[in-house]
Amino acid sequence: MTTSESLAATGAHVQARELGRRFGDHAALDRVSLEVQRGETFGLLGANGAGKTTFIRICTGYLVPTSGSLRVDGISPAEHPRGVQERLGYVTETSRLYPELRVQGFLRFAGGARGLRGSALDEAVESALDRFDLTAVARRLVGNLSKGYQQRVSLAQAFLHDPALVIVDEPTSGLDPLQQGDVREILAELQGQRTVILCTHDLAEARALTSRVAVLSHGRLLRTGPTEEILGEGDPLDLFRRAVSEDALHGDRA
Amino acid sequence: MTRFLALLRKELAALFLSPIAYGVLTMVALVTALVFFEHLSLYNKILFLFQTTTMGGFESDTIPNHINLRDSVFNPVMDQLSLLLVIPIPLVTMRVFAEERARGTEETLVTTGLSITQIVAAKFAVTFGFAVLMMMVSFVYPVTAIAQGGLGAQHLFAVFLGLTLLAIGIASIGLACSAFTTSQIVAAAAAVALAFLFYDFGWTHAFVSEDFAAFLDAISLRPHFRRFAEGLVFVSDIAFFGVMAVMAFVLCRFALNLRRVAG
Repeated sequence: MTTSESLAATGAHVQARELGRRFGDHAALDRVSLEVQRGETFGLLGANGAGKTTFIRICTGYLVPTSGSLRVDGISPAEHPRGVQERLGYVTETSRLYPELRVQGFLRFAGGARGLRGSALDEAVESALDRFDLTAVARRLVGNLSKGYQQRVSLAQAFLHDPALVIVDEPTSGLDPLQQGDVREILAELQGQRTVILCTHDLAEARALTSRVAVLSHGRLLRTGPTEEILGEGDPLDLFRRAVSEDALHGDRA
Repeated sequence: MTRFLALLRKELAALFLSPIAYGVLTMVALVTALVFFEHLSLYNKILFLFQTTTMGGFESDTIPNHINLRDSVFNPVMDQLSLLLVIPIPLVTMRVFAEERARGTEETLVTTGLSITQIVAAKFAVTFGFAVLMMMVSFVYPVTAIAQGGLGAQHLFAVFLGLTLLAIGIASIGLACSAFTTSQIVAAAAAVALAFLFYDFGWTHAFVSEDFAAFLDAISLRPHFRRFAEGLVFVSDIAFFGVMAVMAFVLCRFALNLRRVAG
């Protein structure tokens, strides 16, 4: 068993304490504390501008926090980004791929950039092509694929090194209903296999795929708990309406 | 090393899958050819004039020493080529960092476990390699003049080295500009403006003190290239272009790190 296999089997533990991130005067994240357990599929919910992307960018090491701390298996991505990135698969929006590369070439690059080489790289790429049903389009340019297939490519590159933690940012944004169904099916297969943080503003997606969720609004953590408890009652859109009104209340108190 | 090589291959693919690289190579080859043949034509006309004057016909001892292939064709072509580089090189460097940032792939790169030093080093290596290729393409026509021009291989190597270092110097300016913006047009315009500004401060000599003029010459590109063009290779000139590349490298690393802190 390789190190990555053992890591993936147990998943990763993510802990944020009083995490804050400011851009000038604007607080994109304000003292957010939450914990994601090993093997859990965790939903990060909120309207646009809630702070979801800032949170995951701190997880990936792309941004450093301005206050508080975040650790993945005890490692700070701000201080040791590579230590975290070796355990991490990051599924970005489809626009963040290289349209000029062929699918196979892009996957080989993504695998090589994560330190895979030789037969390990060949096997990882073949396995990803097969797993995400990309074999038929392996020689096509990424930019010429439909958004659904581009999302599959984005998923495939994130799993090449069998990561313990997978962060998925708005996986079905801009996809048609059939493509959304395909991507959700792939994500559903991951449940229990490793730690997944699903960042979305699609409540149906969160309900279908996650076991626990956190609701962010204007950078603050408003609620966290089991998905059924948070999303289970009434009109799901009320969640965002409540989030906005609670946020306004916090603002008034401040 | 595996990670760096993977990135190097990706950068090479990105460069040569882009039409800009081929456009720039074609443009440089075409413009060099035009400039070369223009000077060659002028040189032939001068020779013809000497041939048809009453000075005694076309005999070698009737032609002044300065009318030769080296002084009338090769040197002026190289001088003009050094100025022409200010335009095409920023067209290549403009996309290197700015495009990654604009389309969000910079985030993909930075989060795959590649260090910022590796990312910047791979981009510099590919861009500088392209600069060498560009100089090889531009050297094809002038080299044909060498057989009869009396320019030795060592002199030729010095000129090629000087041109390549000049191209690397301009590319360094372009890469630094590209790292601080998301707009390729802004990156190209800023690089062209800065490269023109630093190309030659000789025009300021009439307005500034002698010491300041010497300082301006020391930070200008052309005076450092000129010595190579004369066949003289000084370590100080090589160091000048080397320092430019190192400064650009540090600035690009700073720009990428700055985004982690400033967003």
